[in-house]
Amino acid sequence: MLKISSYSIRRICLCAVPAMVLLLGAPLWVFAGPEAALLVLPVAGACFVAIRSLMKQVATARAQECFLDEQLIQSQKLAAIGELSAGIAHEINNPLAIIAQEIEWARLQFDGVTSDSPGLEEARDSLNEIAVQVERCREITHKLLDFARKRDPLIQGADLNKLIEDMAKLVEKESSQKGIPIIRDYRTDLPPIFTDPPLLRQVILNLLNNAVYAIQQNGAITIRTRIPESGQVEMVISDTGVGIRKEDLDKIFNPFFTTKPPGKGTGLGLSICHSIIVRLGGRIAVDSEPGKGTSFAVRLPIFHNAQKKD
Amino acid sequence: MASFRVLIVDDEPDFLETIVKRLLKRQVDATGAGSGEEALEVLKTQSFDVVILDVRMPGMDGIETLKEIKRKSPLTEVIMLTGHASVESGVQGMQFGAFDYVVKPADFDELMEKVSQATERKALHEARIRGTAE
Repeated sequence: MLKISSYSIRRICLCAVPAMVLLLGAPLWVFAGPEAALLVLPVAGACFVAIRSLMKQVATARAQECFLDEQLIQSQKLAAIGELSAGIAHEINNPLAIIAQEIEWARLQFDGVTSDSPGLEEARDSLNEIAVQVERCREITHKLLDFARKRDPLIQGADLNKLIEDMAKLVEKESSQKGIPIIRDYRTDLPPIFTDPPLLRQVILNLLNNAVYAIQQNGAITIRTRIPESGQVEMVISDTGVGIRKEDLDKIFNPFFTTKPPGKGTGLGLSICHSIIVRLGGRIAVDSEPGKGTSFAVRLPIFHNAQKKD
Repeated sequence: MASFRVLIVDDEPDFLETIVKRLLKRQVDATGAGSGEEALEVLKTQSFDVVILDVRMPGMDGIETLKEIKRKSPLTEVIMLTGHASVESGVQGMQFGAFDYVVKPADFDELMEKVSQATERKALHEARIRGTAE
């Protein structure tokens, strides 16, 4: 619908303004002379400007609607994937537990055995490796369950700047050794927000961790807080790292999407962040330029929905 | 005001002794444990509002202990204390349900503030469970 109106406004702009100049200008020229006819021009100009600004507003509204649609689709998609993967994770956990038990049992059998047979040592090593890999699987299933868990947030009052600062301190020790200072640009008059502090900390830590990973060595992380509109607060975490390729930008909140080498990341970090922020009633957006850096903006309401019910 | 029941877990006896003393002075019902294993042993017979847990300990480390505490007593809030901040362990800890991270040396008043926030959270949690049970 909006498409049509935007299109028709553009057409009006292109056809109606010259038509008006002709229609009004010609009779005026005839009856009142060329000076009077010239007066039509500023009027037409004003009309043109007005119509163009209207057109721009329509275009912005349309872009915003597209954006909201995308956000909605994204969160629905994530919810569906979350449910599916929780089911799978649950199913896999049971055999994993049995494997872990069998490893323990096999280890006990080996304990009493004394022999210099090289095969025995090999078997022990092999058992240890199986145990390590089982633990790895467990971690993945745990994260998956965590991702899908529909835990209602517990809402407490919190100071966003303080919350960020605590996590920044934690990251800073490690990042400063890599030549990555953390630059703070906190808005000092931020109102207290009502949110789930540990969940939010998890998001902040994840974003900071990603920022360090994106930079690797020498660069900077900037944390900014601001009030984008009344009733909301926003934090923006930017890095000067490798950036995200354009074709990957749409996928980064998808579970299992990762650019890290196999075994280094589960690809669940950002999808967990996304699901947490949605649960907190906010939204998370990404902006990136390959080679220049990435910035994540997290917007949160000052009051959480759950409070209004009380 | 009801006092908080806090368990502090750290392998450095000097630190442990001092912090328990300071907490007791502030009317906090504080108990110390020298290792993850000891903490879990204590938790079998007593319940706490908040556990302050050192990340790096010989034997069972902080993350392992956190996992066990959260499994056996999910309502107990855990504040992680860390000297050599490792971001990786921070991410893990928050994922496994830690309430907060405090970088050593921790400012005592700040720690008290966090303990009180963690206790508030536990009370909210319990209230919610009671609310849904009724």
